[in-house]
Amino acid sequence: MIKCVVWDLDNTLLDGVFLESPDQPPAANPRLTGLLKEFAGRGILQAIASRNPPEAGQHAEHVTGHAFAATQCGWGPKSAAIRAIMAELGLTADSVAFVDDDPMERAKVSFSLPDVLVLAPDDMTAAAGWPQFSPAVVTDEARRRGELYRQRRARQEEARAFGGSTDEFLRHSQTRVSIRPATPGDLPRLHELSVRTHQFNSAGTSISETELASLAGSPTHRLLAVTLADRFGDDGLVGGCVLATGRSWRVPLVMMSCRALGRGVIDAFLTWICRAAQRAGAAQVAVPCLISPRNVPLRIALTGAGFRTGGIPEQDGEAADPAASKTAVYVRDLSQPLPGLPSWVQR
Amino acid sequence: MTADLTSEIRQLLAELTGDSRPLDAPLDTALLRDGIGLDSLGGTVLLTEIERRYGVDIAAEDLNLDCLESIGALADYIASRLAAP
Repeated sequence: MIKCVVWDLDNTLLDGVFLESPDQPPAANPRLTGLLKEFAGRGILQAIASRNPPEAGQHAEHVTGHAFAATQCGWGPKSAAIRAIMAELGLTADSVAFVDDDPMERAKVSFSLPDVLVLAPDDMTAAAGWPQFSPAVVTDEARRRGELYRQRRARQEEARAFGGSTDEFLRHSQTRVSIRPATPGDLPRLHELSVRTHQFNSAGTSISETELASLAGSPTHRLLAVTLADRFGDDGLVGGCVLATGRSWRVPLVMMSCRALGRGVIDAFLTWICRAAQRAGAAQVAVPCLISPRNVPLRIALTGAGFRTGGIPEQDGEAADPAASKTAVYVRDLSQPLPGLPSWVQR
Repeated sequence: MTADLTSEIRQLLAELTGDSRPLDAPLDTALLRDGIGLDSLGGTVLLTEIERRYGVDIAAEDLNLDCLESIGALADYIASRLAAP
């Protein structure tokens, strides 16, 4: 699924070359501008990678009337610009499409970043009908995604200038996290998170709204939703988990949007779960976690929260489930002291 | 070799955190949370950088990430992996 389209400007989004017409900079290409807005409406982010001075990015925002989630204007290779955009937006290469009219630029990006979907402007009308550009569910959070990334940029700029620790910055930003039982209105977004999250996803498989609804209504399970806001903006529902309660708690799924990355939310959520389990008299919390290079951030958070694993269990017989063969169970012993919850988590 | 490696790792941690404390913190200083204060983002960047520099894929080899326990544990782990045939 494509999460971000990175556009070239000269002779792509702009009908002309920015630096060749200083007196009257080129207008936006109407067909591609229409597609850009269509994609944004589907919750796909839009970004710029252009060999131009930064003013070209501002000009493109002006003539397209679109606020881009990330802009890289400069003289380096486009692959470096795309890598910077991926880092800024927390994206992996296989969720990025790159559009450029210059076949040489497309070839270089294909070579450096083989997982990026590289397209010519002429491909884009057809691409709008492709499944990679057509998410099944488009939630409010998805439609607001571009705006949320702009708030994130403001937050990151201020964080860089801020002298104190991460925790001090979170308090300074008036971070507010709430952890609560999921409501029926949360189910589309929780389903979407199960599809879109990779860096913070323990199960690595999506879960349907129907399955989520039955878990929410189950006497043996709990479905939790996590919301996040600060003075830069409201990120809405950013995470959730499925809990199987009992003498020992099991967490078949824990997931968090990469929007919450670096904001202490996953650590606070894991602590919250352990403390709730301890209050309920459970001896331990177990999180089965897919071992994949993509969810290293989650595994670091689990380790930081005191979870340990005995490794990937040996499989008996030949009919072993290939997913199970890569799953390790991380366990937190609740007789060991638990960290406190940060003050910005609402109880 | 471990001494050089330790100072390289201290340097890397200082760059990642934008703080000079890792340069002279005790070897048993924890890397996550209350120690050096790396979060999951910082930890991921650290592991990626270690794989790039030393070719040691800690995330795939050490599921408990015990080597993030301390500066010394991380240096020892990389040294032992580099010494292995």
